[in-house]
Amino acid sequence: MIQSTEFDIDTEKGNFRFDTDYAFDAGVGLNADVVRYISNVKEEKEWILDFRLKALETFLKKPLPTHWATEDLKNINFDVIRYYLAKGQKPSRSWDDVPDDVKNTFERLGIPEQERKFLAGVEAQFDSEAAYSNMKEGLEKEGVIFVGPTEGLRDHPEIFKKWFGKVIPTSDNKFSALNSAVFSGGSFIYIPPGVKLKQPLQAYFRINAENFGQFERTLIIADEGSEVTYMEGCTAPKFETSTLHSAVVELVALKGSKVQYITVQNWSNNVYNLVTKRAMAEEEAEVRWIDCNIGSRLTMKYPGVILRGRKARGEVLSIALSNSGQHQDTGAKMVHAADETTSNIIAKSISIGTGRSSYRGLVRMPKHLKNCKNNTECDALLINSESQTDTYPAITVQGEGNSVQHEATVSKVSADQIFYMQQRGLSEGEAMSLCVNGFVNDLIREFPMEYSVELKRLIDMEMEGSVG
Amino acid sequence: MQTLQDPSSESLFGTDQFFSNFASDHSWEPGWLADHRSEAWEKFIKHENSGIKDENWRFSPKHLFNLDNTLRLSSSKDLVQLSALKSNKALFQNLDKMILDFPDILSNITEHVGPNLGAIQTYHLTTALADNGFYLSTPKGAEISEPFIVEHKTPEHEGITFERNIIHLAPFSSAMVIEFINSDDTTSQGSASSTLNITLEEGAKLVRVLVQNANTSSTLHQFENFSLGKNSSLRNVTIHTGSSQCRSETKGDMTDKGAFFENFSLFLGSGNQLFDQRTRQVHSASDCTSNLLSKNALNDQSKSIFSGLIKVEEVASNTNAYQTNRNLLLCNEAEADSLPGLEILANEVKCSHGATTSKIEEQELFYLLSRGIPQRSAEKLISLGFLEEVIEKVNNQDLIEKIRAMIETKFYS
Repeated sequence: MIQSTEFDIDTEKGNFRFDTDYAFDAGVGLNADVVRYISNVKEEKEWILDFRLKALETFLKKPLPTHWATEDLKNINFDVIRYYLAKGQKPSRSWDDVPDDVKNTFERLGIPEQERKFLAGVEAQFDSEAAYSNMKEGLEKEGVIFVGPTEGLRDHPEIFKKWFGKVIPTSDNKFSALNSAVFSGGSFIYIPPGVKLKQPLQAYFRINAENFGQFERTLIIADEGSEVTYMEGCTAPKFETSTLHSAVVELVALKGSKVQYITVQNWSNNVYNLVTKRAMAEEEAEVRWIDCNIGSRLTMKYPGVILRGRKARGEVLSIALSNSGQHQDTGAKMVHAADETTSNIIAKSISIGTGRSSYRGLVRMPKHLKNCKNNTECDALLINSESQTDTYPAITVQGEGNSVQHEATVSKVSADQIFYMQQRGLSEGEAMSLCVNGFVNDLIREFPMEYSVELKRLIDMEMEGSVG
Repeated sequence: MQTLQDPSSESLFGTDQFFSNFASDHSWEPGWLADHRSEAWEKFIKHENSGIKDENWRFSPKHLFNLDNTLRLSSSKDLVQLSALKSNKALFQNLDKMILDFPDILSNITEHVGPNLGAIQTYHLTTALADNGFYLSTPKGAEISEPFIVEHKTPEHEGITFERNIIHLAPFSSAMVIEFINSDDTTSQGSASSTLNITLEEGAKLVRVLVQNANTSSTLHQFENFSLGKNSSLRNVTIHTGSSQCRSETKGDMTDKGAFFENFSLFLGSGNQLFDQRTRQVHSASDCTSNLLSKNALNDQSKSIFSGLIKVEEVASNTNAYQTNRNLLLCNEAEADSLPGLEILANEVKCSHGATTSKIEEQELFYLLSRGIPQRSAEKLISLGFLEEVIEKVNNQDLIEKIRAMIETKFYS
């Protein structure tokens, strides 16, 4: 789907050959019939179809946001994308088709055997039932709902319809409109009042239910006083033939609840990853986005929190690593809409080779508010002389006792540091890896244990060959 | 809404005869200048807005910068007054005199460009219609300690003036330029749009200070484009207390090794004043240093926009670049917008930016209150202290006193 460009990216990675049988898919290109087809396959109610069709109109009307975003977006050819493959019609490939370097990566990251096959696209299904079934029982007993969007809207409309498309309206941006028109897959989660989940919910649990779609839609509602942690993605590179991913993730944190959403993504570098993520935090609720972006050709992702209730708190912790041919355009949005709300953004980026990392931020405090606080820190590390980094924050402050501080620094690994470690017997590459790991260490600690171990290994691997 | 960005037939500049009348009034000027003007006029007429939101105008109530209230070109000839020159080392003249007496020296102004940070159309209009301003050039190696003083005045009610100002320092020369912008009365809604091009050759040193205290009915557009040569240094200090709305675009381009660029500004706002500041620090060569400090203290419903970008090009290794924006909100309805940006393409850099916005620190206030200083005075004292960091960058003691007095007057009014 990518038209010829000046970029020399490794398109081979996603270039698996396999027999295709698309008899049951929606064909290529996007029009009202495709949307009707998707809705029909999913046996959706009338209002959902209307919602989709309206979204399609919005999508077609909206221009690409290239007045601020990268021109690379123009290389997406929307007419050659498959917007829906029916369940069971996913292409399959054999383990032998998987390139050796991919197998190596799995080996070195220590990915379990079963997961490897799924991640390489060999198996469309990943048997997590055994691990999940015990937990599922427990969750059901507590009244937790954990389903896909189709089931969510069909079986529990009284819960999900109220918030569906409310945190991120269809017309928010071109890609949220696209997702609203053709969404399939994703997770709809409801946590009843006072329920505090000790174990994180993982996208893995539902992987056999087309969880990793191109246009996944996630809606998590944490009722009063509940707590939940949700994790998606993994450190292993995921090899994709489809090159546009555009997800919408909506979080609703009702009074006094806590929601933590952890993403680790490592797309192959032919993928456009254009994701809209936003949370709404009511009184004394707390929302944390922990986001790690590695890989992809272009990622545009700005998790946001709308702080709607008194003393609500929002936090975004993000790590972006862009290697040659990649652009990580990430950031955060904090919209303060009630008194005494606080927010914190810590963003760290690393650019290797010709990689480019950008931070875009938005912090807004209108005049009727009192005693809101925001803290933003963006640190960028440049490894090679061709690496690039940008920072574009936008801050608006009015009102009584509101305060904002923003700080950004750009640096490189100093020759002194490298020299010091080389003297003690480390190779230049090892020294560099150590420095980079030190740079992101305080953020990596926020990730669950197994993720942080894998992340460290992954950074080591990305750093290979970047020095000298 | 009709704006200057979209000239309609009702606007002063929208009529067909306007420019041809202007051109025939200026038929005495040399041919190259007439060509230059009509070229700029064409660009002004042809300029089209892309239709989508322009990042260079983000947060700006753009309509306030239209020139709808403008009914005529100001006819007064004394809007730019230059101090008498004691030394005869430098060439320091009004623009109209330069056109008349030294057209050849002036002819390279056709190569000048604007900072290009958003108000492009107004820039072209200014280039086309400027018939006022000043020109300063120094000979090689001249060190001139006596400051060059320029007094600008905003025009009469509903009038507009366009200025082009040029400073050119030859290698290893140094100078100081002090500019004032004032108004004759407090109510005239005059508009002034001016460009300033500064060229510093190798080793040249310039301090430029602008003290802007125009009346609070006037509209100002300022386009400042600086080019810094090898080992040259420029300190630009701007003090803004006046005008109803002021759009200020400043770009400093460090074109050769070892250039040093400092840009300090303060804005003290009250009432409905608006200060819309856009800056660029461009590092196009290695071993350069730039430092920017923008401080805004905002009373009532005043609003400040700071949009700054540090751009470090690939060749610019060993760069040091800093940018700081501090906003003090003295009133609940005041608004500060901040867009501090970095674009770094080289890796041997030390680069940082910081932006803070807050009200007066409770502890600081408590300290003064507990020593018997009334609340209002304590707040003023802290605000003055906040602005002092910029004022002290003016390295001229007399002028510092003058600025302090001006700021205090504004506070007590």
